[in-house]
Amino acid sequence: MKPDHEVVHAANALTSWTSGVSAEITELARNVAALMERNLAGKPKVDSSALAGLEQLSRDFLAKNAFAVGAGTFFATQSVEEDGHALEWWSRGDSGALDKLDCDLTPGSNRYYDYEKLPFFSNAASTGEQTLWGPYLDYLGSGEYVLTFTAPFSVHGTFAGVAGCDILLRDLEPLIMPDLRGIPGDAALINASNRVILGNSGTYLVGERIKAGSSEQQRMELDVPHLGLSLIYSA
Amino acid sequence: MASPTSFQSQIYRSLPEIERADAIVDRISTAIALGLLKVGERLPPEAALSDMFGVGGATLREALNELRERGVVETRRGRSGGSFVVKQPKTQTDAMREWFLSTSVSEIRDIGDEHSAIAATTVRLACERAEAHDFERLQELARALVLADTPEVRASADSRFHVELAVAAQSPRLANAEIRLQQETVQQLWTPLAVAFDPEKATAEHLELVRAVAEDQREKAQTLVLEHIRRNIFHLIDTKLTLGYAQSNQDAQ
Repeated sequence: MKPDHEVVHAANALTSWTSGVSAEITELARNVAALMERNLAGKPKVDSSALAGLEQLSRDFLAKNAFAVGAGTFFATQSVEEDGHALEWWSRGDSGALDKLDCDLTPGSNRYYDYEKLPFFSNAASTGEQTLWGPYLDYLGSGEYVLTFTAPFSVHGTFAGVAGCDILLRDLEPLIMPDLRGIPGDAALINASNRVILGNSGTYLVGERIKAGSSEQQRMELDVPHLGLSLIYSA
Repeated sequence: MASPTSFQSQIYRSLPEIERADAIVDRISTAIALGLLKVGERLPPEAALSDMFGVGGATLREALNELRERGVVETRRGRSGGSFVVKQPKTQTDAMREWFLSTSVSEIRDIGDEHSAIAATTVRLACERAEAHDFERLQELARALVLADTPEVRASADSRFHVELAVAAQSPRLANAEIRLQQETVQQLWTPLAVAFDPEKATAEHLELVRAVAEDQREKAQTLVLEHIRRNIFHLIDTKLTLGYAQSNQDAQ
């Protein structure tokens, strides 16, 4: 059955919005890679001096992209001196000023933020492509309920980490709800693991997982490479 | 006007300044003991702390003084200054003992009632909402409890597991409620005051719970978590009775 005009319209609008975010992330990762190539000229591994300039990239990204609450870079252990951890992630605080994410990077500690195991890092690392993780409660990181977009980057030809941004679910709602509300029946934007990012009614609630759907439930994949987004709607 | 009911007097009860300073000391000490605040971490600036705790500057300074005297917090001057966590507070066996003596059986049962309500919903939502990534994490955290070798580490591993269940349930509010409930009782559970609590049994229960969540068996997961909490509460009540009523027990024998 051919989807209704309203569904196609909403899918196009969502695709266009997400592609916009995706393009910003691609550019951020490219800028991070270029900066790191310069900072690491003649140095094999990332040390604290090699992080110079990353804060400004986060600041510029957040100044330009009001939809994001935080942005920055996480480094792969193998690219950091002494196989340590390094991250430069900046988020908007309540006052509007930017704060650096401060999390526990001591392996074995109770609050160890083992970011390489989190899918926003591990998916981008294993596929070499941009990825989208969430909605999830970033308990040991920002502590917020977010959606994270990341893209991998390489330095001198080797995978070195991911760069990306967080979007609060609360901030996302006003941005894409009007598109979803344009669909007359129940509909939702869902992620690659069938989790609802946002629905246009109480039928599909953010964070819920869609189990094998009824025959009435239709699905349309959004044409945004690698993110695995779909629109589901009742026929 | 009629005299207030006990509920109302609960709501409007006065807040003596001295108790508020003590409450801040307790709150921060427990958070450090549970690993919610780590050694080396800087506490928010004094003004922000006063704001968040809803106390005046004098009360807050009194609390920070006490934490400094206990060697838990250190205040450094200068641009990168502030109050830093410098060491784990001593396991406050005395404070634990005091808690058991001053908390009645009915209050302990009531903590269990609230925890049961929160946990039952949390596991049901975790069944519906968790995915493979969450199961792996939960399993890892469940095993951390049996690998822990001190009561302090067991307490933080245990609480970490329960908070992660709420994270897998995708609910910031349930996670906050779980953190609060854990802070209230998890140290009492693992500090061996009367009868030691068995980490292997608790771990086995956690692992069985993860299996039920992974298989989306909602009824089973709920039953398991309620039984788990009931056992915890029985242990607390047992400890309470042993510590508080040992004498009369002997008299009866």
